[in-house]
Amino acid sequence: MEIIKKYPNSFQWLFLLIVFFGLCFGIDVPEGYKYIRSIAEYSKDPNLSSYNLFGIEVRYYAYDTLWRLPPLLGWLPIWVNDSLFFLLNDWMPIEFWNADIKEFQTRPLILQITRVISATMLFLIEFIREILIGGIKTVVAFTSWDWIDANPWAELPGIPWTIVTAGAFILGYKLNGKGLAIFSAITMIYISVFGQWKPSMETLSFVLVAAPISFLLGLVLGIWAYRSKRVEGALNPILNVMQTMPHYSYLVPIMVIFGVGDHAGAIATIIFATPPMVRLTLLGLRKVSPDVVHAGKMSGCNDFQLLFKVLIPTARTDILIGVNQVIMQCLAMAVIASFIGAKGLGWNLLLALNQLRIGLALEAGICITLIAVLLDKMSLAWAHKQTDYFANLSFFERHRYGIFFVGAVVVGLIFASVGSFYFKEGFNYLYEVPHNKGISGEPFWNAGVDWIWDTFFQTLKIFNTWLIQDVLQPMRAAFLRMPVVATFVLVMGTGYIVGGIRSALVVGGFTLFIALSPWWDRALVTAYMATFGVIASGIIGIIVGSLAAQNKTSTKIVLGICDTLQTFPSFVYLIPVMMLFGVTDTSVLIAVIVYATIPATRYTIEGLRSVPPALHDAASMSGVTPMQRLLKIQFPLAFPHIMLGINQTVVFALFMVIIGAFIGTEDLGQYILKALSDVKGGGKGLILGLCVAFIGLAVDNLIRTWANKRKKLLGLEDY
Amino acid sequence: MKNTINYTAKLISVFLLILTIFFVEAKADKSGVIKIAIHNWSSQLVGATVIGELMKKVDEKVEYVLMDSQTVYQSMADGDIDIVHEIWETQFGESYNKALSGGGIEEILTHDAVTRMGWWYPEYVEKECPGLPEWKALNKCSSIFARTDSNGKGVYIGGPVEWSQHDAERIKALGMNFVVKSLSSAGSIWKELDQAVKNEKPIVVFNWSPNFIGAKYKGKFVDFPKHDPKCISDASWGINPKKLYDCDNPINGYLKLAVNDDFKKNHPKGYKLIKHMNFSNSDIDKMANYVDTGGLAIPEAAEEWLKDHKDKWFIWIK
Amino acid sequence: MSAPVIKCESVYKVFGINAKKMLQGVSGNVDAKSFQDAGCIVGVNNASFEVSKGEMLVVMGLSGSGKSTLLRCISRLTDATAGKIYIEGQDLLALKNKELIELRRNKMGMVFQSFALLPHKTVLENIAFPLQIKGIKTEDSISKAVEMAKLVGLEGRENYFPRELSGGQQQRVGIARSLAVEPDIWFLDEPFSALDPLIRKEMQDEFLRLQGALKKTIMFVTHDFDEALRLADRIAIMKDGIIEQLDTPANIVLSPATEYVRKFTQEVPREKVLKIESVMDPTSDTKNLSDLKVSKDAIIETVAEKILGQEKPVSVVDSNNKVVGIVKPSKVIHTVFGGRKENL
Ligand SMILES: Nc1ncnc2c1ncn2[C@@H]1O[C@H](COP(=O)(O)OP(=O)(O)OP(=O)(O)O)[C@@H](O)[C@H]1O
Ligand SMILES: [Mg+2]
Repeated sequence: MEIIKKYPNSFQWLFLLIVFFGLCFGIDVPEGYKYIRSIAEYSKDPNLSSYNLFGIEVRYYAYDTLWRLPPLLGWLPIWVNDSLFFLLNDWMPIEFWNADIKEFQTRPLILQITRVISATMLFLIEFIREILIGGIKTVVAFTSWDWIDANPWAELPGIPWTIVTAGAFILGYKLNGKGLAIFSAITMIYISVFGQWKPSMETLSFVLVAAPISFLLGLVLGIWAYRSKRVEGALNPILNVMQTMPHYSYLVPIMVIFGVGDHAGAIATIIFATPPMVRLTLLGLRKVSPDVVHAGKMSGCNDFQLLFKVLIPTARTDILIGVNQVIMQCLAMAVIASFIGAKGLGWNLLLALNQLRIGLALEAGICITLIAVLLDKMSLAWAHKQTDYFANLSFFERHRYGIFFVGAVVVGLIFASVGSFYFKEGFNYLYEVPHNKGISGEPFWNAGVDWIWDTFFQTLKIFNTWLIQDVLQPMRAAFLRMPVVATFVLVMGTGYIVGGIRSALVVGGFTLFIALSPWWDRALVTAYMATFGVIASGIIGIIVGSLAAQNKTSTKIVLGICDTLQTFPSFVYLIPVMMLFGVTDTSVLIAVIVYATIPATRYTIEGLRSVPPALHDAASMSGVTPMQRLLKIQFPLAFPHIMLGINQTVVFALFMVIIGAFIGTEDLGQYILKALSDVKGGGKGLILGLCVAFIGLAVDNLIRTWANKRKKLLGLEDY
Repeated sequence: MKNTINYTAKLISVFLLILTIFFVEAKADKSGVIKIAIHNWSSQLVGATVIGELMKKVDEKVEYVLMDSQTVYQSMADGDIDIVHEIWETQFGESYNKALSGGGIEEILTHDAVTRMGWWYPEYVEKECPGLPEWKALNKCSSIFARTDSNGKGVYIGGPVEWSQHDAERIKALGMNFVVKSLSSAGSIWKELDQAVKNEKPIVVFNWSPNFIGAKYKGKFVDFPKHDPKCISDASWGINPKKLYDCDNPINGYLKLAVNDDFKKNHPKGYKLIKHMNFSNSDIDKMANYVDTGGLAIPEAAEEWLKDHKDKWFIWIK
Repeated sequence: MSAPVIKCESVYKVFGINAKKMLQGVSGNVDAKSFQDAGCIVGVNNASFEVSKGEMLVVMGLSGSGKSTLLRCISRLTDATAGKIYIEGQDLLALKNKELIELRRNKMGMVFQSFALLPHKTVLENIAFPLQIKGIKTEDSISKAVEMAKLVGLEGRENYFPRELSGGQQQRVGIARSLAVEPDIWFLDEPFSALDPLIRKEMQDEFLRLQGALKKTIMFVTHDFDEALRLADRIAIMKDGIIEQLDTPANIVLSPATEYVRKFTQEVPREKVLKIESVMDPTSDTKNLSDLKVSKDAIIETVAEKILGQEKPVSVVDSNNKVVGIVKPSKVIHTVFGGRKENL
C-alpha cells in the first residue's frame, strides 16, 4: 500500500498494460479474418453482412465486436457526397442573366456562387500572371475574343526577366538594404538561368493571390475570434481538424465544387494556409496588454483606428510569424495544388517525379524554396520598415527608387531588343530563357544518384531486408493483431491517467469514429507507420537538438537547416528515398523520419535554450558537469516544450505517411489517393481525412494535456 | 435615419461589387480557349502538346489543364475541359462510358492505335517460370516474384491507383497467390523494371501497348481468361461464379478521342482538325520514346514529332 | 464657485458576471466580502465626489485599493457598474461612442501606470499618435511631438523605440503623449513611480510649473505621500474601493475621518502638511514680538528654521499683510519633533 501511494501513476500504468495485453492475448483472431477488406465494396461475397441507412447499403464482414466494430459509419461518406451533389446541382435554382446567349438561365444558387468565386480568383491570378509573362486573357475579360483577334497589339507582352530581376533588386534594397537586394537578384537570376522562369512566374502569380487572401482571411477570422468568445469556441475545433487533415482529402470536394485549374489550386491553398494565420493573429491579439488598448482609447481611437493602429501593430510579432507561415504553406502547397490543375513549378516537379527525373525535380524544388524565402524576407522587411521624419530629401532622393526602376525598365527593354537581333534561333535569352534552354544540373544529380546506388547497393539492400523482416513486419502484424477493445482500453486508459475522465472521453470519441468507419484496419497501418516514424524521429531529434543547443553557433546553424528543410515541398523528400530503397515501406518510413525530425529537433533546441540562464549559473556554481546539467536541469525543465515538439512530429509524420501512398503504402493514404480519382470520391476523401485528423488530434490531446499539467507543476508559463 | 442611409449605401456598394464580378465572370467564362486535358504519362503529354500546336496553326487558342485521368470525363461533360485525346479502353472505359451516358460529351473518333494493358514480364522470366504467358503458370511460380515485405506472395508492380486496373480484384477472383504493389507513376514502374532487368531478376509489371517499353526490352503480356463484357458486370460469368473480374483486359482495346459537346459550336476550326486527325500505334510509341528514353522535355518532344511527321499532320489541318 | 469639471455620484465598479444584478437596489457602501463569495470583486465602492476646474485631486491608497479602477471609470475605459459620472455637466455614461471619442480626443489625457506605449512606434510617433488619430497632418503632429519630447527631456532620443528606453524614459514618453493634445482633464496613474528620486523631484517641479500655467483639472494617483503633499489641492484616500476621506492635506492629517486614515497618515511629518495658521495663537500681546512676519498660509516646514531663529513669538499675517495672530517657536518645535503620535 505504501508503494502504491508513493507511485500511484506507475501502478495505474502497470494495471493498464496488464489489462491491455490480457485482452490482446485473450481474444483470438477470428477465423477467416482478412486484412484487406476493400474488396467488400465490389464483390458480393455471401459472407458479407449488410445494413441499410438513409437509403445507402453498406456491406461489410462482420466479426466479433470485441475484435472489430461493424462499420456503422459506412454510409457517411456516400451520404456526404450525395448531399454535396444535391447542394451543388439541385438546391435553390436561381435565374440569372447570361450575357453570352442574351437570355435568362437557371442555375442552382451554390453552383452560381462557386462559379463566381472561381471566376474572380482565376481573373486575379491571370491578371498578375499576364503582367509577369504576358498573355491575353486579362484584356479579353474586358473586351472580347473577337476584339483581341482584330487588335493583336493589345496582347500583354510580359516583362523581360532582366527587368523583373532589377525590380526585385531595387525592392530588396529599398526594404532592407544590400543583403536582401543581392539575395533577390541571385534568386531571380538562378530561376532564369536554370530555365525555370515561366513556371516560377506562374507559381508566383498564384502565390501572390493566395497568400494575401489567406492573410486577410486569417486576420479577419482571428480578429473576430478575439472579439467574440463564441466565434473562438466555434472556430477552434474547425481549425484543429483543418490543421491535421491531410491535404489530399479535401482536394476532391474542392474539385467538385470549384472545378479544376489555378483557381481551384489557389482555393485549396487558402484553405490550408489560413488556419495558422488565424491562430497566430488570435495569439498575438491576446497578448496585447489591456493598458495599451486603453492608451489607444484615451488617444481617441475609434474602433477602426484601435484595431489597425494599436491592436494589430502591437501584436505584429505573432502576426508576422503568421505571414511567414502563410507564405511557407502557400509554396508547400504548390505541388499538391497542381493535382487539381494549378500550373507552375509544382506541376513541373510532379511531372519530373512521375518520370523519375530527380535532377529536374530537385531544381524545381529549389526554385520553390528560393521563392518562399524571398517572399518571406521581403514581407518581413516591409513590415519592419521605419519612416525617417527628419530627412530633408530632395526630389531625386525621395523618388530615387522609382527613378532607378524606370532606368532599369529602359535598360531592360534595350537589352531585350538588342537580344532579339543578336539571338537568331528564335530564343531571346535577354527576354526569357525558355524552359528547356537553361542550364540544368540534372546530369550531375543523376550521376550522383547512380554513384550512390552502385556504391551502397548491397549495404542498403541488407539493411532494407533486415528492417522489413525483423522490425516492420512484426510491428505491423502486432498493430493489426490488436482487438478493438484492447485499443480502446489502451487509448482511453492513457487518456484517463494523463488527463482524467475528460481526456479519456475525448480520445475515446476520436477513436470510436475511426473504429466505426470502414477503414479501421487501414488506420491501424497508418498508426503503425506513424508510430515507428515518431519514435525514430523523436529519438534522433532530441539527440541532435540537445547537441546543437550546447552553443550558440550550432543552434543557429541547425535551426537554419530546419527552416530550409521545412520550406522544401514535402514531395521532394520522396525522391531520394525512393531511389535508395525502392518502393517499400522502408522508403516511406525514412522519408517520414527525415521530415518529422525537423520539429522534434527544433522544439528540443528551443526548449533547452529557453531554460533561464540564472539556473545555468546556479548549476555551474554548485559544480555540476555539463552532462549532469543537461540531464538534471535542462531536460526536466525543457521537457514539456519538447513534448509539444513531439506533438508536431506526430502531425508531420502522419502527413508524410499519407503522402507515402505515392510510393505504394497500404494505409489510409492509398484510399485518399484513390478517392482523388473518383468523381464521387468527395465524401470518401473527407471522411478518410477526418480519420487521419482524429488520429492526430487524439495524440495531440494527450500530449497537450500532459505538457500543460507538467508546466503548471514546474511553474512555467503556458504556451 | 443616418444609419439607414449608411446601411443602404453599404448594401448598394456590395451589390455593385457583385455585379462587377458577374460581369468579369461572364466574360472569362466565354469559351475562347480550348482546354486540353493532360495526364501523368509521357505519350499523352506529348500528344496533347502536338494537338495544341496544331490547334495554334489553325488559329485556335489553347491551354493545357493537368487533370486526374479518371475524373477528367466528368469535367469534360461539365465543360471544364474541351478535349481528351487518349481514352484507353481498359483503363478509362468505365469512367468514360459513365460520363458519356450522362450527356455533354461528343465522341469524335477511335484512333488507329490498338491498345492492350495488363501484366507484363521481360522475356528472361520464361526460363525460370515455364508455361508463361499462361496465368496459371505464373501463379505456380509466384514465389520467385516474392519480396521481403510480401509474406511469400508474388509481387505484381501496378500503376498508380488512379489507373484503376482492378488487379486486386482479379487476383482475388482467380485465387492467385499475388499481391499488388501500386506505384505512384509510370516512371517508377520503369525504374523497377530497369533494375530487375539489370540483375535478371524475375519481375511482372503493369505495362501497356503501344508503349516505348516494347522497343526497349523484349517481353510478353500474361494471358488471363479471355475478356468478355459480362465478366465485369455479371459475377456468375467465368471461372469464379461469385466474383467479377475473373478475366483479362480487352486485348484489342480502343483508343478514343472525345470532346465537350459545345466544342463544335465554339471552335469550328479546331473541330475540323480533330475530325481528321488520328494517332497510330507507332505515333504513341514514338511520343513516349522521345521523353522516356530520349530524355527530351515535353515541348521538345512534341516539336520533334511534328518535325518528323509533317506529311501526316499537313492533311489534318488542310 | 464654477460647476465641477468631474462629478461622481455613487459610482460602483464591480467585476464579475453577475455584478449588475447584485448591485440592484443597493445604496451606500456594499459589503465586499459577500460580493466576493458570489464571485465578484469590488473595485470601486460608492464613490461620490467632485473636482472643480483647475483643481488637482490626488488619489492615494494601498495597492489594489481601486485607484486605477476609479480613474478608468471616470475616463470610461471601463463602464461603471452603477452610479452617475458627469464631465463638465455631461452625463458620461450616456455619451454615444462618437461623442466619447470626441471627448477623449479633445478634453482628456491619461498617463498609465504601465506606460502603455505602442511598441511599434518610435518616441516621436508615440507622442504624435493622439494627434494623428485626430487627423492632424503628419508634419504638424511631428513638430508638436518634437516640442513635447523636449519638454519632458527626451531630446536626442526621438527615434528610439520604447524597448530601447529605460522605464523612466518610457514614462516620460507617456507623459508627453498625454500632453500632446493639450487636454483640459488630465489623469495620471502613478506617473512618476518609475523615476529615480532626482528626476522625480525635477518632474514634480516641472509638473507644478506646468500646472501653474495651464491650470488643468487633474486626477493624480500616487503611493508617495510626499508627492501628494507637494502637489495636491485635495487628497482622496481609498481602501478596498471605498473613499475613506477626501479633504485638504491638512485636514486629512489633522482630523482623519477613520481609523484607517489615521494609521495611513501616522508617519507623515506634520510640518510638511500643516500651515502656520494651524499652530497660530491669537494676538494677545502685540508688543513682545519679533520683527519677523510669516504668512498664515506658509507650510510650517518652509518657515520653521526662520521662526526657530527667533526668541520671541513671530507675528502671522494674512494675504493683506494684516496681523492675524502670533506663533511661538516652542510650538513649532513641538510640531516638528514631538507629539507626532498625538492628535494636535
Ligand atoms: N479587469 C479586472 N477584472 C477583475 N478584477 C479587477 C480587474 N481590474 C482590477 N481588478 C481588481 O480591482 C481591484 C482594484 O484594482 P486597481 O488596479 O484599481 O488597484 P490600484 O489601486 O490601482 O492598485 P495599484 O496601486 O497596485 O495600481 C483589485 O482587487 C483588482 O484585483
Ligand atoms: Mg493602479
